[in-house]
Amino acid sequence: MKRQITRRSFILTAIIGGILLMTMVIINTYISYEQTVTATNEAVSEVSSFYLEAMADRRAKTITNLINSNFEQMEKAVDYINSAKIGSKKELRATIGDLKALLSLNRFALVDNDNIVYTQYTTYTGRSRHPFLSEDKMDERSVSTVSLYGSSKQLCLAAPTPDFTIEGKHYKASFVQIDIRDIVDLLAFDDEGRTYFGLYSKNGENLSDTELGPYISKKNLFDSIKGVVSEETWNENHDNFSNKVEGSITFTADGAEETLCYVPVEGTDWMMVVLIRESVIHDRIRSVSERSLEASNRQILFILVFSVIFFSVLLLMLKALSNKNLEAEKENTRTFRNMANTDSMTGVRNKHAYSDMENYLNRKIREKEINKLAIIVCDINGLKMVNDTKGHVAGDQLIKDASSMICRYFTQGAVYRVGGDEFVVVLQEKGYDTMHEVLTEINSEVEDNIKKGEVVISIGYSELNAEDQLVHDVFERADRMMYERKQQLKAMGAPTRSDA
Amino acid sequence: MKKFPKYTGILLITLLTVLVFTACSSTSAVGNAGDSAQTDAFDEAGITDADNLSSGQESETSAHGAVDFDHDLDSYEPKKDHYNFYFTYKTVHPWWDAVALGMEDAQRQYLDKGITITYEYMAPDAASAEDQTKRLLEAADGDYDVIGVDVADADIISPLLDSMVDSGYKVMTFSSSDAREGCKRIAYVGNTHNYEDGADLTEALCKKLDYKGKVAILVGSVGAPCHEDRARGAKDTIAKYPDMEIVATEYDMDSVDLAYDLTVKILKDNPDLDGIICCNMSNPVGAARAITESNSDAVIVGMDHDQEALKYLKDGIIYCLGVQDCYSIGFDTLQIAVKIADGNTPGDLFEEETNEITTVIYQEDAAQMLELLYGDN
Repeated sequence: MKRQITRRSFILTAIIGGILLMTMVIINTYISYEQTVTATNEAVSEVSSFYLEAMADRRAKTITNLINSNFEQMEKAVDYINSAKIGSKKELRATIGDLKALLSLNRFALVDNDNIVYTQYTTYTGRSRHPFLSEDKMDERSVSTVSLYGSSKQLCLAAPTPDFTIEGKHYKASFVQIDIRDIVDLLAFDDEGRTYFGLYSKNGENLSDTELGPYISKKNLFDSIKGVVSEETWNENHDNFSNKVEGSITFTADGAEETLCYVPVEGTDWMMVVLIRESVIHDRIRSVSERSLEASNRQILFILVFSVIFFSVLLLMLKALSNKNLEAEKENTRTFRNMANTDSMTGVRNKHAYSDMENYLNRKIREKEINKLAIIVCDINGLKMVNDTKGHVAGDQLIKDASSMICRYFTQGAVYRVGGDEFVVVLQEKGYDTMHEVLTEINSEVEDNIKKGEVVISIGYSELNAEDQLVHDVFERADRMMYERKQQLKAMGAPTRSDA
Repeated sequence: MKKFPKYTGILLITLLTVLVFTACSSTSAVGNAGDSAQTDAFDEAGITDADNLSSGQESETSAHGAVDFDHDLDSYEPKKDHYNFYFTYKTVHPWWDAVALGMEDAQRQYLDKGITITYEYMAPDAASAEDQTKRLLEAADGDYDVIGVDVADADIISPLLDSMVDSGYKVMTFSSSDAREGCKRIAYVGNTHNYEDGADLTEALCKKLDYKGKVAILVGSVGAPCHEDRARGAKDTIAKYPDMEIVATEYDMDSVDLAYDLTVKILKDNPDLDGIICCNMSNPVGAARAITESNSDAVIVGMDHDQEALKYLKDGIIYCLGVQDCYSIGFDTLQIAVKIADGNTPGDLFEEETNEITTVIYQEDAAQMLELLYGDN
């Protein structure tokens, strides 16, 4: 059986479809949000590691370059002293001073075979003060970290000076000491407290006296992270430090995730460590992401609101359209019905309408639901004569005039044209009550019209009585009366069929 | 009745005076030797003891007060724009490297004022009065404004110093060992309370051992005044307690290795040893190494603040250390050398014996001291 789509089912389908559509949009938005957050976190970790590794590497290279540069400058200084034909200790001190200033060498000094150190201002026995002098023989360059009593640590760069003699005394090495604070100044960058760096020894001791973030601060790196990373991670990174292997550690401390990267500083036993609090990158990326999500949410909300409004308007329009169609259909039906029940010439109801009314009234009579009913039968006098003598146009006009006259008087009743020259008026209630007055008035005009040669109508009437079974019974009496009246009017000079 | 308030007032004034001096001595670095009113033995000697400080204040005060790195030259205006000095000390050792850093600080400050100071700061690998004599004679041939010496052996060096002064040389002594009393050297900058240092460390040990047990004494170089004075202080303190016994006294000649060997031998001879008193910087390091390797529970007390010794203190192997302010000794030595070079003598400008403090520190102070002195964190 073919199912018919109703208006209700259509609206229901539209509403359910709309809700499903919106639900899918919301779910899709949520999934997208979750995916974005996950992707952001992954990006943060990758960016942090990449950024830190690059930063640590760059700074480690800076130190290596500084070391190499100092060794080169030392070589130049020794070559110069060697060729300067120095003749006294005083002269040697002055020359060392000049070279220090010229080549920007910090604490440049020479050491003789008895481990006596010669600087610009002092000459001292230095075996206990400079660890590289503890070796009996010095064959190659040495880089060591010196713990300076009560001061910052220093990087000591020493180079052997074979065949270097002054006044017959052999000097076995030259060296410079660079304060780690100066190196820190060289490496420092304006990061507004977001990234931190430090130089560390193989056992995690902070050499640079720089803060590696608020958690580790200046403390020993491995002591600090002992509680916040697993033992396995701790051991792995501790080994990396010992073996001068680069790596990274991520840990959470004081509610913040921190990532540090470390790279060995070539030529030294130091590790360059750079740390960033991921919250910094995270906050930045999240801020961008949240702005994007916010914009996306606004768009989705806009689409949802727009969809709701659009569907509502669509439904209202559909409803309005349906009502309009319904009204038009009703109007058409009414028009067709009117056309079927109306006499096209006079505009009053036709015989078909009278039949319907007759059926309706018969049912009322049968059911005893009506008591005030009168039937007026009207017949136009002389229509045939007019048609024959003046033509059908004049005849039609006579019919129209007669109809207008009847309608003018019987305003409280229903007028029907039931034949060519015959009209019936059905009177009920108020029309019934005023019937006799109206009949008197119309008959008076009819009689006047005889003299004027205008419309003459023969009128008979009858009222429903208790014996009547049908309307037709009433009609019959009224019709007979109408004929009687016709005769009366003829007598008064009214035109008749025979006049034609 | 009338006398009672008067005595009470005197008593209160005396008590107040003692309290004021006690407070002053815990923070002052230089020049307290002349404060004869001090009644407390530590204060008299210029020693502060972390145990004597109130809790909370204890660590910071003892660690930070032990060594003073913050020095400025006084208002004295040197007469020349260049000075040349010669300093010689007992032996090559980190303790004197710390003194050298104080000297270098003063030298830089003079340089900032436009005064150039050059100097030699020399020592043999092992303490030797003969070597020191040789160095002093060589220095006498040099063009030095002042010759300074950390006396290796007071009996041998003091006569030499007298003859040098008689010959017109300007001679001073510095760091931990002065010449013998009556020596003509112009001034001494350094520890003037070595006897008390030895006595106080020993007192701390006795208290720890509840005044009974067997102890050994490690001394540094034979004849070195500071070492000998500390050993004397230790012996006199032990003598006060009948249940304490000295089972050995050995000299390590300022060698850590020898101190280790001597301790191993002492422990072998006296397995029930209860304590070791160390009179120089190498003693406690060698003793601690030996104790670590043995099963002994002997308590170590000792002098000075070698980095390794501080680590042993931190680990509880050493009970306490007497820390001398070497940095200040170095700074003051150079400053007074300039004044002596200008022909000044002890008086208003400087004292004949410039006292420097010794602070006794314990395990709880070790970490801070390591960080402060060696940046070891």
